Amino acid sequence: MTDTALEAAALGKRFGRLRRSAGWALRDCSFALPAGRVCAVVGPNGAGKSTLLALAAGLTAPTEGSLTVLGGPAGQARARVGFVAQDKPLYPQLTVAETLRMGGDLNPGRWDARAAERIAAGGDLDPKARIRALSGGQRTRVALALALGKRPELLLLDEPMADLDPLARHELMGVLMSQAAQHGTTIVMSSHVVAELEDSCDHLLLIGGGRVRLAGDIDALLETHARVSAAADTDLAPHTVVESRTTGRQLSALIRPAAPLPADWRTGTPSLEELVLSYLRNPEAKAAGAPAKSPEESVA
Amino acid sequence: MTALTPPAPGAPHLTRWLIRLHRPALLFWTAVVVTVSGVLLWLGGPLADASAAAWRAYDACQASACRYDQAAILRYKDVYTYTTYAVLAAPFLVAAWAGAALTGREVETGTARLAWTQSTSPLRWFASRLALPAAVVTAGTGLLVLLHHLAWSAGRGRIDTLESWYDPPTFYANGPVVVALALAGLVAGALAGLLRRGSLPALAAALGFTGLLWYGVQQAMPHLWTKATAVTGLPPTGGGLGVDEGIVTATGAHVSNLTCGNSETDDCLALYDKFDAVGWYRDYHPASHYWPLQLTATALVLALTALLTLLAFRLLHRETGLRTGRST
Repeated sequence: MTDTALEAAALGKRFGRLRRSAGWALRDCSFALPAGRVCAVVGPNGAGKSTLLALAAGLTAPTEGSLTVLGGPAGQARARVGFVAQDKPLYPQLTVAETLRMGGDLNPGRWDARAAERIAAGGDLDPKARIRALSGGQRTRVALALALGKRPELLLLDEPMADLDPLARHELMGVLMSQAAQHGTTIVMSSHVVAELEDSCDHLLLIGGGRVRLAGDIDALLETHARVSAAADTDLAPHTVVESRTTGRQLSALIRPAAPLPADWRTGTPSLEELVLSYLRNPEAKAAGAPAKSPEESVA
Repeated sequence: MTALTPPAPGAPHLTRWLIRLHRPALLFWTAVVVTVSGVLLWLGGPLADASAAAWRAYDACQASACRYDQAAILRYKDVYTYTTYAVLAAPFLVAAWAGAALTGREVETGTARLAWTQSTSPLRWFASRLALPAAVVTAGTGLLVLLHHLAWSAGRGRIDTLESWYDPPTFYANGPVVVALALAGLVAGALAGLLRRGSLPALAAALGFTGLLWYGVQQAMPHLWTKATAVTGLPPTGGGLGVDEGIVTATGAHVSNLTCGNSETDDCLALYDKFDAVGWYRDYHPASHYWPLQLTATALVLALTALLTLLAFRLLHRETGLRTGRST
């Protein structure tokens, strides 16, 4: 068991080297995710979230750099990694029960049939129903049951809650959190809806334009940033300015303070959503959060 | 299905689920093989006997109007033609299925990624996708070829209109080349499916490849074994798989010419004069070359199939690859 579940070093992935549309989906990404965390991978559509998760799941090989998963190269720890893709692919001709039985057959020695069946049963799913007859939300439930049934040490979820109703979303998020708490599972889930992840995640990986914009413990990130209001002519140096806006005589800014703030500024802690949006709106703002090597460092 | 009997740790049961997922295709293939086999047995048995009896009656008849069972002769001939083409269609059937359903659809719909994130590496997944179908295809196509050969042999020397051994459809449906072509179609389809262009393009690519390969085999076939040469004073005739023919000059040299035969058109007469022709020659393969030709062609197609298999594994390895793994 290593302390770092996921560690990227100068990771890059380029698609279609030969085609004219060739482009980097990810470039120069470095970050570390301590084991046991619930990490939100946030970013706009097309930011590279799915690519990152596919790289971590060993579904595609990096073009440059490296990605270490549970202490080894991505793809060597398949048995210990669970993955649910964005479109929740399942075999349409199988029944729910068959799908779960297949999970047992394909993950010998790891499969927890009872846990998988419990998750599927939570949605009143008929075990004899064929996958092709299920709604999007029901398929998500089966896909999650399949991923959790193998008792993964690292669970990678790409937009897992997108087509669930609020009730199912709440329930399944609860299942995920209790899994994380009980078994110390590291969970990495992507979303472009920050609010969806705010309550459950304790680690953030913000990706924009194929690069890591912000990475680290969410509480620590919020603490190291401040929302400030001051007179319009205030000089914000030496603090790192993520975003600033002047309205009349008032300057509002989101900054990373480099020193204690003057007493005449009105300051507040930003919300996670404010923080994320500020970084996304300002692509030139310097990426924050040095790659954490261990939980201690990342919290510091 | 209870938690009380966890499966013993070991190899994942990929084959069991391959069979479950492709059950309709397996049933269809079984039905095709059983049906065509049944018809071939009927062809080689009762139909061949009836046709032979009709030919005996016809050949024994000296009168101007003869009574013989013409329907039996035609029935044997028709059923023979249909079954021959059914056997020859097997490689295309296999290629189409492999391209569309075996890997193409899984890659297209993402279920391949689902399989690759269980406790199985993509390479093992692909190996399981090839191994059992290869065995099933070999068994099925092999059986058809064997029964076709028997049904054809049943008419030898008894049915005057029996196709010669070198008639192209008969030649291929009678021998193992078709089995090798079916395996090549399987691998080509599986490889095309991995290329992420969708299952329909993969199907088309697999069919196209199999067709081209077959065309190539037909072109190469006469040159796969040393030919025999017949030199005659008469224009070339005779059986066997033709390679080349032409005229023999006074010096004994051979000048290839496939069009003249013994034609006496001005062009041909000019040609005979120009080279001082004293006879004709014909390069061909006699019936004794049947097995050498078949086996050489089979070996070549199988070698190409092995190459394609290697290519597919390398492609998958590079795509999902473990750069730091032990292998290259």
